[in-house]
Amino acid sequence: MRTFTSNPLEIPPLAPGRTISRADLVLYGVGHRSDSYEVRVFLDQPDADHGTPLRLDRGYAGYFTVFGHGGCFGDEGHCDPNARVTDEFDLRLPNKATPHTKIVRVTEAVRRITAAATTVRLVCVQPGEDEAAEPSDELSFVSLRLLTYE
Amino acid sequence: MCSSRTRAPLPNTLSNVTASTGLASTPIRELRWRRDAARLTAGQLEAVRRGYRGMTELADERGYDFFAGLHGLPLPIECIHDAPTFLPWHRAFLYFFERALRDRSPEATLPWWNWATPDGEADVIPAAFADESADGAPNPLFSARVSEQAIAWARRAGQHVPGRTTFRDPGAGGRALPSKDQVDDLIAIRDFPTFSSELENLHGQVHLWTGGRGGHMRYVPWSSFDPVFWAHHCMVDRLWRLWQIRHNAVGPPEREWGQALPPFPVTVAQTLDVTRLGYDYASSTSSQTVEA
Repeated sequence: MRTFTSNPLEIPPLAPGRTISRADLVLYGVGHRSDSYEVRVFLDQPDADHGTPLRLDRGYAGYFTVFGHGGCFGDEGHCDPNARVTDEFDLRLPNKATPHTKIVRVTEAVRRITAAATTVRLVCVQPGEDEAAEPSDELSFVSLRLLTYE
Repeated sequence: MCSSRTRAPLPNTLSNVTASTGLASTPIRELRWRRDAARLTAGQLEAVRRGYRGMTELADERGYDFFAGLHGLPLPIECIHDAPTFLPWHRAFLYFFERALRDRSPEATLPWWNWATPDGEADVIPAAFADESADGAPNPLFSARVSEQAIAWARRAGQHVPGRTTFRDPGAGGRALPSKDQVDDLIAIRDFPTFSSELENLHGQVHLWTGGRGGHMRYVPWSSFDPVFWAHHCMVDRLWRLWQIRHNAVGPPEREWGQALPPFPVTVAQTLDVTRLGYDYASSTSSQTVEA
């Protein structure tokens, strides 16, 4: 997918005198079988795109990169992590195509949120022409979670 | 009278890793030094070039294609990413590559590419790897031929081949190289999972910056054929070393220490202390031997 906007994610209010010491956005099941890409994270910016400035006051919260394989080079099922018979005696390493988990520290952007919820906007890009990134459709993931720590 | 005591587990610290694994550190006088690629002496750079050139002339398991193929094609792709063993696996990878390099050029060590650019400085690949020629001959650090086996695998699978000879597209539109401030923030992170995850993130950023719009460094199966791959990963390994010193910690949790790092005959534990692997990092070195 090229962009993704989450439903509003609740940020329960802090007790008086407490502050958020750290906030993480965790993405599960991130695909990396195809090309490499970068994902930019924005909060409360549902219209953000590849041209949106990467500034805190524009909702920019952070980014992560995915180092991709550029496709499957094996036979059918080679890059299917579920195409194995496994049990408690299976000492093999995970299939190299097993989706990744990505963690992005978004502390500063979350601290600026004053509402009780925020949307997460993900924008996928790749290197482009003329010193600008260009949109990319490579992003895939299963779920995301916003964590805060006091 | 003897009393039975329960020995407290050793903390997961750099200074205790030697005791807990029963292996001795290497005396500093015997260490080899990996140096900043931008600060090599002419002789040090020539030794590196000689090593690369020698490896590319070998088609067997001592050669360049063999090592590039461990990270990439032909299958199996052995490299580990997004796991606590990302850093240990690549440390082992560099170690065995460097051994093979020194078999061809005994004075050579792997140089590291300091891609942490201070604000106001241009993002560049070091001249040692960016110059197309050296002393009137093709610079073996500029590009390398991709193995025929790797290309055959890609063709068989119907997949894209970036090119028979590695190329780069550095600084194409998009994010710049990681800044020095980013790296300083990275080293300050206390917990290893976050450090490893964010270092891997910066590592991916450098792959994208270098490969640009389709160069080999952009793709897992092809990146290790580019000679600058090794200098890039040497920087990654160096940052892990700096983090270890800063926090007096080794990183991966003890439950991972017995994990093998295939295809290399080492475990995670054997990668934790670079001095046990016989090397360390310096910006530059210069030496003199005085006859007795």
